[in-house]
Amino acid sequence: MMLKCPICGGSVEVPDDALPGELVDHDCGVTLEVVNDGGTIKLRPLEGVREDWGE
Amino acid sequence: MYVVKVGGKVVDKNLGNVVESVSRFARTSPLVFIHGGGNVVTEFCRRVGVEPKFVTSPEGIRSRYTDKDELEVYVMVMAGKLNKEIVSSLVSKGVKCVGISGADGPTLIAERKKRIVIVDERGRKRVIDGGFTGKVVEVRVDLLKTLLSLGYTVVIAPIAIDSEGTMLNVDADQVAFKVASALKADKLVILTDVPGVLIDGTVVKEVKVGEVEGIVSKVGAGMNRKLIEASNAVVSGVGEVIISSGLVEDPLTNALSGNGTVVRG
Repeated sequence: MMLKCPICGGSVEVPDDALPGELVDHDCGVTLEVVNDGGTIKLRPLEGVREDWGE
Repeated sequence: MYVVKVGGKVVDKNLGNVVESVSRFARTSPLVFIHGGGNVVTEFCRRVGVEPKFVTSPEGIRSRYTDKDELEVYVMVMAGKLNKEIVSSLVSKGVKCVGISGADGPTLIAERKKRIVIVDERGRKRVIDGGFTGKVVEVRVDLLKTLLSLGYTVVIAPIAIDSEGTMLNVDADQVAFKVASALKADKLVILTDVPGVLIDGTVVKEVKVGEVEGIVSKVGAGMNRKLIEASNAVVSGVGEVIISSGLVEDPLTNALSGNGTVVRG
């Protein structure tokens, strides 16, 4: 499916079976997160992620 | 003063020799001993019916995913069984010894990771809830210094506490680097299941802090983090960091005799 980048407005190709939380690197340099907004699949910039240092 | 960290694979395969080796130094020098033990946690998770979960980072590092049930087992095993087995073993060898977790004092303050990025089973990057893992942001040295000044060796389990009083699983390497930096240890020894930093199968004998940036891309995931954190620790006042094998008969003597990789200023 084609969605719109919330940063640059450009088109972003997202797999049809994408799950919420899935990440897409867009050409404009931003990493986007797939979200389910009341049944509508959208994209938002990835935020709040920390370096992974698990045991 | 020494800070010694032993990784989970060494705990599985050679803990007896490591403890024996550490005891020789601990009887005469201030020493802090930090242990991993992920496989023991995994074994006990299964024993109590909690299926252990693991995630893989985009860098390819496989890590434990600590949910609420697993945190309970993690704390029981790390701060209980493993920590006290190490303490009792050191005590039996004549070492004055106290075992703590980072929640005691408190000593290790961490921030909970709200979300982490993983590679899922379809090979796609996803962001998920961070569970009960954290990043150490502060080491409070009061308790450590008090115990060391009284002649106790301190054994630390890699558990930290956050600002809300929640215990968190924290990486034992990270604990070692942060504790050594806070105490400005003379030597930090990281005992692993490899003989040192390997490039093309050969152990690099010495890495200067200024050389780390040029080397990290040539070593594997996991070791590159160790190198970066070792460099940061030396800049923070640690005399030197030695990355060496924990699988030999006398690992600490072996490491301090020039076997392994030394990171220094």
